[in-house]
Amino acid sequence: MGILNIGTTALGANLVALQTIGNNITNVNTAGYSRQSVIQQTLPGQYTGAGYIGKGVEIETIRRNYDAFLTRQSTLATSIQSGDATRANYLGQLSTIFQGGTDGIGASINDMLNAFSDVASAPTDLTARTVALTRVDETARRMRAASQSLDDLQAGISQALSEKLGAVNTLAQNIAAVNDQIARALGNGQPPNDLLDKRDQLIRDLNQYVQTTSIAADDGTLGIYIGGSQALVLGTTAATLSLAQNDFGDPLQNKLLITRDGNSTTMDESRLGGGEVSGLLRFQNTDLVEGRNLLGRMTTAITTSMNTQHALGLDLNGLAGANLFTPVSVNDVLSPVPPAILNTGTAILQLDISDVSAFAASDYEVNFTGASSGSVTRKSDNSIVVPAFTSFPVEFDGLRLSLGAPLGSAAAGDRFYLRPFSAAASNINREFSTPSALAVASPIVGQMGASNTGSLQLSSLSAGVNPPPATAVPAVIVFTSPTNYTVNGVAATDPYTSGQAIFGSGTPPAWSLVLQGSPLAGDTFTVQDIKATSVNLKLNGGNATALMNLRDVPTFDGAAMSDGYASLIAQIGIRAQSANYSATVSTNIAKSAEQDRTGVSGVNLDEEAAKLLQYQQAYQASAKMIQIAQTIFDTLIQTLGR
Amino acid sequence: MAINSFSRLGTANAYDSTVANLQVRQNKLSSLQESLSTGKKINTPSDDPTGSAQAERALNRLARIATDQRALETQRNAIASAESTLGSVTEALQQVRELMVSAGNGGYSSAERKTVAEQITGLRQQILSLANTLDSNGQPLFAALGSALTPFAGPGIAPDYAFNGLPGTASGSTYAIASALDGDSAFMLQPARDAVYNVQPTSAAGGLTTGAVDKTNPSLVNGSAYAISITAFDGVTVSYSITETPTPLAPAVAAPATGSASWTAGQGFSISEMPGLSLSVKGTPAVGDSLAITPNSSVFATLDHAITDLKAAGNSTVASQVVSQALHNIDISMARLSAIRGQAGDLLNRVDSISSTNEQRSIEQSANKSRAEDVDMVQAISDFQNQQTGYQAALQSYAQVQKLSLFNFIG
Repeated sequence: MGILNIGTTALGANLVALQTIGNNITNVNTAGYSRQSVIQQTLPGQYTGAGYIGKGVEIETIRRNYDAFLTRQSTLATSIQSGDATRANYLGQLSTIFQGGTDGIGASINDMLNAFSDVASAPTDLTARTVALTRVDETARRMRAASQSLDDLQAGISQALSEKLGAVNTLAQNIAAVNDQIARALGNGQPPNDLLDKRDQLIRDLNQYVQTTSIAADDGTLGIYIGGSQALVLGTTAATLSLAQNDFGDPLQNKLLITRDGNSTTMDESRLGGGEVSGLLRFQNTDLVEGRNLLGRMTTAITTSMNTQHALGLDLNGLAGANLFTPVSVNDVLSPVPPAILNTGTAILQLDISDVSAFAASDYEVNFTGASSGSVTRKSDNSIVVPAFTSFPVEFDGLRLSLGAPLGSAAAGDRFYLRPFSAAASNINREFSTPSALAVASPIVGQMGASNTGSLQLSSLSAGVNPPPATAVPAVIVFTSPTNYTVNGVAATDPYTSGQAIFGSGTPPAWSLVLQGSPLAGDTFTVQDIKATSVNLKLNGGNATALMNLRDVPTFDGAAMSDGYASLIAQIGIRAQSANYSATVSTNIAKSAEQDRTGVSGVNLDEEAAKLLQYQQAYQASAKMIQIAQTIFDTLIQTLGR
Repeated sequence: MAINSFSRLGTANAYDSTVANLQVRQNKLSSLQESLSTGKKINTPSDDPTGSAQAERALNRLARIATDQRALETQRNAIASAESTLGSVTEALQQVRELMVSAGNGGYSSAERKTVAEQITGLRQQILSLANTLDSNGQPLFAALGSALTPFAGPGIAPDYAFNGLPGTASGSTYAIASALDGDSAFMLQPARDAVYNVQPTSAAGGLTTGAVDKTNPSLVNGSAYAISITAFDGVTVSYSITETPTPLAPAVAAPATGSASWTAGQGFSISEMPGLSLSVKGTPAVGDSLAITPNSSVFATLDHAITDLKAAGNSTVASQVVSQALHNIDISMARLSAIRGQAGDLLNRVDSISSTNEQRSIEQSANKSRAEDVDMVQAISDFQNQQTGYQAALQSYAQVQKLSLFNFIG
């Protein structure tokens, strides 16, 4: 009867093989499915005097073709890829906000500064004044629009983050549930292949959002960790992830909060590795913050310079210029909020502008080591700009930090976060629209002595204080020799050099004067208040020229004001470009890791088709075996029956 | 993505990665198409950050050159019309000169001289209004460093015509020139520099005539008016008193209260007590004769003096004194005008050179901008066709490979 039994075992084994092949074929496109193969083994033979006689075949197990290393590698690569791709996508959006060309902020700034050239040519021309004012408005509008776009981007990110964290939490719970099922299923001795596939797929899905590491436990469950050491899933329980404010409650910078059994821990995006959530956080906390700061710095520097210069002019009514733009306040100081350690001192910090040309596009952190001593760190490059200050005011990067009212004192360990430029561009507006209020006349004028004999020419004369103080004007400069001069009778300390500025008294200097040419002894130049002369101030365009000349003032890390936007574009562009590169690289890595993984685990239809034929034939052969057994049996019966 | 002969291939993954590859190709094709249709190789700054910053800077430069050029045209127009205005002024002065010469005709009656004086008055009016001409933007052409809307006021304003503005010249820069000429230097006269004086002799006998006032030492000239009256004459030496108004303040040197000079028949005498000045007087002086020496502060004042004196001239001797004074003074004025006209010419030359530099720079910047951001059409079309062929091949091979399956042969 052996042959019948052998045939039956073969029939059974081949049928299982065919079933498995069928299952493979059906699941060819199932995400996370690992190809299964039947492992057959011979049944132990029966001992006879002639040796062991084979007793057939049996199924040892259905093996899941799986390589833990390749799977982990592919999961990790996918995680990094999705983080990089997310960041690159958002940086792409950020760089579209800062467009170049005639529609960009840069073109409007240049058009605005250039418009003052026409006003300088024709100070009485109301059309030229109106054009200049319209350009001012357009610049403010474009700055505002860019700021609004950044806000929209921020809002989109907040929403995306909360959606993705919701997905992460659901996935974590699902993994915990599958862990539970696997632990139970393992009890029966055979691996629960489909559950393992499901868990691997859940982990892959989870890694799309946040990079994890996993450690297997003895009971078959898998512990899932994020940020290196924080357990997201332990055995059959899952922690929850949520967004947290940073230490200073800055709504523009978030951390990740993991809560397990009521205990919370915050994590920086730098610890998270790959995944969309960390890509988003990285974009939000670094790239978007830099974008905001670059825009804010440009807005603050340009509008403050324009306002300052405009106030040094006189309008058609002889009044000092009012603000052209809404004044920007850089006084945005944050103190720590729970759960961070709160400040214990009573100091209130006040931040002001000291020099618009020295700005760096960054946030700052102030750390106190005593009542009025501490250090200031620039966040953009984490360099300590003021290593140890001991008193106020503290000046760094064109900003002045002082104690605000009511006067308090800090305690050692107190921290403050300064966001001077973060919101600068959001409320910028043109302040007036009356063309006659444009202050294009210079409050001071100069005249040469009518009997001058040298070749003196006036290169430029600009006011530093408006109205000019009586102590500084009129100032009569008399040359006592081609290289020496007196101002109001007082000999000047520096010799005269053609093209070099001569300054009026006071701080800031009431005026600055540049003369060219070589004077002869007895030549004079007189600086006067325009209102004290017969000059018609409506015909004077001195301040319009000064406003126009702002375009060449080194403002942005040494770049001229008119070129500030070009370097901004480049800075954002370089970020976007490098993010694109890393996304491309990590995409390729992910692709090849996935190919390697599917090389082991993936179903190949041709292979399955071949196997189908193989086992079909084996099945047919085993059926034939049974038929032969039957024939033998029949022959035997017939022989016996005779 | 080399596929080794020993590695397996997952069917689903093979499809997925083929589709992904197709998408990459489609993306490239679409971005090439975008480049072709926009003509720009930089569609977002991240394509080429340096290039886009370069293009942005070139765009700024171009806008600025256009602005500078527009302002320069305004300045050119102002200076050119100032220059031609000075031409008209010179012409008018030339006419005055001719009229003056005709007034010196000994046969002219006093009525005829008055007619000439009237004609000169008309020309003076014309010269004054020329000096107050505005440019097309309403700025005075001769505003110097700034002036009232009407820079030259007068007559009738003490002490004389005045320049209501700030004398001096602006130096301009590499991209601009001054937009007004120095009216003070053109029309106003300086005693030290020009020494334009009007000398009116009054003598009972009517015999005194004078030459023009000469400057002997400009640094001593202080611009005072002098009244000289003869106190004694003995045929050899002339003594006279000198009254200076106003009395100059130290350190300027004042003239002595009295003076004397030796007289030669036929030569007359020379007065040299006025600081830095000398005046030769012809004729025989008599006690009581006097000379009024007044500085002329402007071209207009020179003309006004000539007009008044011409009208007042009772005889041809006085008239010839007036004419010779006036001709001398007009010549000095014309020299001033032509000096300033020369400056205007220089400025216009500068405009031409700045203009051509601007043009050159504009071409360079356009080229820079184009190099940075414009697509090389030949290259782009060829790339596009390559990509297109590649994409087509990928699609076709995908469709063909997809058809191949062992299952097709089972059954």
